[in-house]
Amino acid sequence: MQQFLTTALTGLTLGMVYAAFALALVLIWRSTRIVNFAQAPMAMITTYVALALIDAGFSYWIGFAAALLSGLVLGAVIERVVIRPVEGKAHINAVILTLGLFIVIHALAAVIFGSRYRSFPAPFGLQGFQAGDVTIALTGFGIFTIVSVLVVMLLLVALFRYTDLGLMMRASAFNQEVARLLGVKVSRMLTLGWALAALVGSLSGLLIAGGSLVHPSYMDSVVVYGFVAAVLGGLDSPAGAVVGGFLLGVSLSFVSGYVGSELVALASLVILMLVLLLRPGGLFSHAAERRV
Amino acid sequence: MLEIRELSTSYGPVKALDGVSFSAPRGKITAVLGANGAGKTTLLRTVSGLIRPVKGSALLDGHDLSRTPAERMPSLGLAHVPEGRGVITELTVEENLRLGGLGRADRSRPSDNERVYSLFPVLSDRRNATAHVLSGGERQMLVIGRALMATPKMLLLDEPSLGLAPRIVAQIFDLLKTLVESDGLTVLLVEQNARSALSIADYGVVLNLGKLIVHEEAAVLAADDKLRHAYLGF
Repeated sequence: MQQFLTTALTGLTLGMVYAAFALALVLIWRSTRIVNFAQAPMAMITTYVALALIDAGFSYWIGFAAALLSGLVLGAVIERVVIRPVEGKAHINAVILTLGLFIVIHALAAVIFGSRYRSFPAPFGLQGFQAGDVTIALTGFGIFTIVSVLVVMLLLVALFRYTDLGLMMRASAFNQEVARLLGVKVSRMLTLGWALAALVGSLSGLLIAGGSLVHPSYMDSVVVYGFVAAVLGGLDSPAGAVVGGFLLGVSLSFVSGYVGSELVALASLVILMLVLLLRPGGLFSHAAERRV
Repeated sequence: MLEIRELSTSYGPVKALDGVSFSAPRGKITAVLGANGAGKTTLLRTVSGLIRPVKGSALLDGHDLSRTPAERMPSLGLAHVPEGRGVITELTVEENLRLGGLGRADRSRPSDNERVYSLFPVLSDRRNATAHVLSGGERQMLVIGRALMATPKMLLLDEPSLGLAPRIVAQIFDLLKTLVESDGLTVLLVEQNARSALSIADYGVVLNLGKLIVHEEAAVLAADDKLRHAYLGF
């Protein structure tokens, strides 16, 4: 029973981190139909920005805010400078560019921040809570992880569903030309979409780094899990990204706990295969039409 | 109100519009007719800023549209309902309308969807439905309503009758006529269905292979058998 609970809670916490990363991927996919392969190093480099500030003596929260802010700026800049020039051309061009960015940002991080492993702080503590003489596998930081991802998800849902800006962003994603004819500044919406996605990606970078070690490749393994989570939930659905992340995190945790941790990577790929075979649109897909 | 001067647009080496000149008078419906490939849709897309012309200009009350990006058109009072209707099917009826109101030219008044709902009661019943469930006729009403939300003074309509039953077409065209009279709207109406278009239009322009062949009062056009047989298919 204890092991079951521990495994489930670990999975929940981990799942939320994958969910955040998946959410970033989904946001960019929805708005520009691109899979952003550079998402992991983007998150990594903004976490390094936080680390630099923390090392310089500022509090964790200043570092946290700086990482999110630099994510926002980085996303906007990348969209304007790298993606915008190839908009309207074959999607493969943008994909190749994001792969190129992956390499460039990695190299930049190694040059600026060095390749050594560095530890990263985690607020709210890394000890499990005590209930009698049983330790529950939920740490303060774990709760923070879960809460922060849920808050971000709710804010994004509120943005998209209830605000004019959100409506314009959705319209730009669904039908660029019609949105333009209705007066929407579509290119601005796309930049904003990338900025928000990068902000969410930065959050996932901070949550993974907390209490763990940071080095230029630390986010790379998350790419696979985040991608699987996004596909599982449905690449078009932010809620799906979160549910997908949660389901994936819990499943992988159980595989790790009850079968063997070596099989986790394989398990994630098996899940991906199953999704693509049985329900390729993902769990939250609508009956697939985009343009009728 | 809308003055087209020597407008020429090309798709690469293909001249889709070749020196087209005419005026669409204020408060009137001008039908743009011709066979497939005549350049009718290209004309509308050039006027609304989706394509840049290679030569010539389009002036809306003196304002040169050919240097204006498409996003600015609603604020100048120009609404374009494109070919294929342009319903955003992932959004609800209400959201489509709200979106139309966001770009409105007259910012002094709040966006008014009740007026659209009273013009098109069938949309009112489906406010919260995703636009994807609407029939062809309902979709056409939605996009016209959405265009009206922007309080336009000029409406560009691209083949509104396409794919619709004759009864619905008649309904929509009647409504268009009423709107022109009540709101003083100016309409540029591209149609393959020349007969229906000429029945509500004041003027007609016939294009063929990118060139303007005829610009005449609608009644005169409809009465000219030779012209009708040659270019309008009836």
